[in-house]
Amino acid sequence: MIRSPKVNRVDGLRAPLFVSWQITRDCDLCCLHCCTDSAPGKRLPDELGAEEAMRIVGEIVRNEVPYVMLCGGEPLVVPHFFRIAEALGAAGVQLKIETNGQRLDTAIAERLARLPVRSIQVSLDGDSQEVYGRQRPGGSLAKAHAACRAVRAAGLPLEITFAPTRLNIHEAGAVIHRAAALGAFRFNTGQLMRIGTAARLWDRLEPTAEEYREFRDLLEREALNLGGQMEFCYSPFTLGEALRAGLDEPPATLLVLPNGWVKVAAALPAVCADLRRESLADAWMAYRGAWRDEAVRESIRGAIGDELKHADANNWRRLVVSEVRA
Amino acid sequence: MGDMKVNLQSEKSEQEERIEKIKPAERLNWETPKLEDVSEQVMAQPYIRFT
Repeated sequence: MIRSPKVNRVDGLRAPLFVSWQITRDCDLCCLHCCTDSAPGKRLPDELGAEEAMRIVGEIVRNEVPYVMLCGGEPLVVPHFFRIAEALGAAGVQLKIETNGQRLDTAIAERLARLPVRSIQVSLDGDSQEVYGRQRPGGSLAKAHAACRAVRAAGLPLEITFAPTRLNIHEAGAVIHRAAALGAFRFNTGQLMRIGTAARLWDRLEPTAEEYREFRDLLEREALNLGGQMEFCYSPFTLGEALRAGLDEPPATLLVLPNGWVKVAAALPAVCADLRRESLADAWMAYRGAWRDEAVRESIRGAIGDELKHADANNWRRLVVSEVRA
Repeated sequence: MGDMKVNLQSEKSEQEERIEKIKPAERLNWETPKLEDVSEQVMAQPYIRFT
């Protein structure tokens, strides 16, 4: 195995800047574009239990990780969600919560508002119930809008995410204006990721090149129109662009899966650590080492040039830093 | 994609070996992560936007 001699900025950090923690694959919706293969009843048999999750909370705090995102699946379906969030918040860890908004009512928003929350990110993948419900079967757009209003009424910062597909891309403009009207401080989008459920349904979901071109024109126009009111976040537009940037400077983030495994990169199946058995500090060391590993870097280069390889990203494989080609 | 083998601990780079030899006190020189360093670039990663 060959290791790159390059020293990255992450090599000088003793812990990650940011932990993205998928606390479950369970969800109350079964979205066609889901990148994590989440859906009702999809809780993994080996997901971390409450006490194991709280041990990781302790590690995050001890290692002084400043910022944690709780996501899923739908994090609010997890019975110990508030134990995790409130323990992190009590220790001063800043929080971002990603939710579909179906359960986020006034009481939940007010409870979250007592914590150091920097963002509640709600997905709005359509501006009509017909389109939203087609992409998010079982979902109520009215509930998602109500969640956004509850977030703002509680004084919490709101972000909106829009995952473009062939089903909803024609409503992108309306969603942008809805996000601004709801008081969002940021609008997130980009190219649909070919991972998870989206990868399996790719032929039904992938927007055409022409649709993407018009979408990007729209984003540029609206960023000029509304940029003073709401940030537009759509660069890097593709996972491949993000991976290319990562080769130059790996992101100082850890992506933790529901079973405690730690991924090297979202678009790759490679897992570099297991937080059930290893400390967060060891996981961080393993992550730093993985990004210097020439075989890992080669697989990243391959994923930059071929998004079809991203479809394998959820077939997690434990470390695995040297790839033997068949 | 071919078979994936070898675990990270099986072979160590010179840098890792050097790090392991570092006394714990010296590791304190590693920078503590700070919130102000969580840049827009960090938060703009697609999987953070879409997860």
